Amino acid sequence: MNPLLREAAASVQFGWLMGVMTLVFIACFLAWVWYAYTPKHRQMMEEAARLPFMDGGEN
Amino acid sequence: MEQSTSGTVATPASRPDYDMDIVKKFFTATVVWGIVGMLVGVVIALQLAWRPANLGLPWTTFGRLRPLHTNAVVFAFGGNVVFTGIYHSMQRLLKTRMWNDTLSRIHFWGWQLIIVAAAVTLPLGLTQSKEYAELIWPIDVAITLVWVVFAVNFFATVAIRKVEHMYVAIWFYMSFVITIAVLHIVNSLVIPATLFRSYPIYAGLTDALVQWWYGHNAVGFFLTTPFLGLMYYYLPRAADRPVYSYRLSIIHFWALVFLYIWAGPHHLLYSALPDWAQTLGMVFSIMLIAPSWGGMLNGLLTLKGAWDRVRTDPILKFMVVAVSFYGMSTFEGPMMSIRAVNGLAHYTNWVIGHVHSGALGWVGMISFGMLYWMVQNIWNRPLAYPSWASHHFWLATIGIVIYTVAMWAAGLMEGLQWRALDDAGRLANPIFLDITHRLNPFLWLRVVGGSMYLVGAVMMGINFWKTIRGPSAPAGARVEGV
Ligand code: HEM
Ligand code: HEM
Repeated sequence: MNPLLREAAASVQFGWLMGVMTLVFIACFLAWVWYAYTPKHRQMMEEAARLPFMDGGEN
Repeated sequence: MEQSTSGTVATPASRPDYDMDIVKKFFTATVVWGIVGMLVGVVIALQLAWRPANLGLPWTTFGRLRPLHTNAVVFAFGGNVVFTGIYHSMQRLLKTRMWNDTLSRIHFWGWQLIIVAAAVTLPLGLTQSKEYAELIWPIDVAITLVWVVFAVNFFATVAIRKVEHMYVAIWFYMSFVITIAVLHIVNSLVIPATLFRSYPIYAGLTDALVQWWYGHNAVGFFLTTPFLGLMYYYLPRAADRPVYSYRLSIIHFWALVFLYIWAGPHHLLYSALPDWAQTLGMVFSIMLIAPSWGGMLNGLLTLKGAWDRVRTDPILKFMVVAVSFYGMSTFEGPMMSIRAVNGLAHYTNWVIGHVHSGALGWVGMISFGMLYWMVQNIWNRPLAYPSWASHHFWLATIGIVIYTVAMWAAGLMEGLQWRALDDAGRLANPIFLDITHRLNPFLWLRVVGGSMYLVGAVMMGINFWKTIRGPSAPAGARVEGV
């Protein structure tokens, strides 16, 4: 590995990296929970759940 | 019934002309390769219990047939079953025919050709010796090309869809198409030396980490997410009720794909991998229980109110057992990711038990349920031997239990005996081979359980053959129970 890169990698503080990652993940999680549960999307969710049945017969 | 939203022309004739031929092709390939792969599984199980079954020929020894088994069941059976379900359900969910029929056919024949190439090269001993990525570089190139063809067709079909919202199954399929492409390409990067030989561009620990990043996500994105997609389409269809919680399906989808990618290091615990990376893998693996069980609960709760039908309908029975085994193996997996537990389980038959509770229980049973539902629907006729479906269900279920319980017992025994010390602190079982010999009764039990599972699959094959060649239901009639 390039010595400069190696040095940079060694100086990264894993605590920071993991802390930031955790926050990013929590933010994502909250975002998709909001997306799923916001009342605005209620009707859309119910319609979406019925999509497999909108087929009108088989073959 | 289809409803017209625009108020203008929406006659029944306007229903898209789905490409059913490609579904039937993949369906047939699934059943054929499934039986072949499981047969090889029984053969290698026999070889471990009874040495002469290696036949003394290089091409038929365990070392060469084992990768043939894993490739056949995962990529030939598992791959084809997922493609069958994707081509069938995505056209319906998106209300459009596949974008390009020629690409679908290139995908089909290309994939079968790759499988044949694998079946020839592996017994010849041509291998890259990376687990689940054994195939030599020319075949790897072919896989990449065929996958690109599939991906282009897949996303073009998504782009021309007639339905705005993409049902959650499509998201699960997308994660499969994208992730497998990335995993396959990154893990297969090699420098070819000759037609049959190559050298990986990674070395040492990096090689191991890339390999298990790949290996674990092959489990996550080949044996889990596409099958969850199938569950989200076929379980509601078979139970005739919408999924219990669509919101939960969205949340657990995103959580699952976010977490899975980081869990690979649980295959490298106590290795030279830095401790922090091991811990990272362990923590993400334990968190994986939540989204996994989200999927399981959503599947089981969808059947709320339909339990009377579960008792009589073999399709639902297959699906319930599948989802239950999914729950069990995704509880067991996180437990095995805990360093102390892994210290006991690693290298033992416990791992093999875990693998097959996922593979036979989850992947196999959800596939069987889907196939039984589909054969009656796309060929529009009832099963030739309905009672055989029930026999198959029981053979498979009892077979899995025998297989996995035998492996758990064998694995615990091995793990405990390897580490046991006597009063003086010396190994209580200094001769490794002694412990290996003690495994034999369990290995025979696995032959029995595996054979039951195989016999069930063969019965399914005969049943399908007879069904497809039998008379179709009268026009307009719906097949009962479907
Ligand atoms: C008739 C059913 C089957 C039998 C008897 C069987 C038997 C076996 C045996 C004997 C091994 C080698 C174990 C060892 O090295 O100690 C094995 C490995 C494996 N099998 Fe199966 N198998 C069956 C079905 C399946 C199915 C349907 C799948 C996947 C969908 C599957 C996936 C695997 C995998 C991934 C491994 C490698 C496990 C590891 O390396 O830890 N098997 N199987
Ligand atoms: C939350 C889910 C899961 C977690 C955290 C998990 C974790 C693990 C762990 C810790 C091992 C043992 C590694 C070792 O000591 O060598 C393992 C092996 C394995 N698991 Fe899982 N597992 C999960 C779900 C599944 C499912 C659902 C399947 C199958 C459909 C599966 C298939 C496998 C296979 C094939 C191996 C063997 C890999 C090898 O060594 O060749 N796992 N898993």
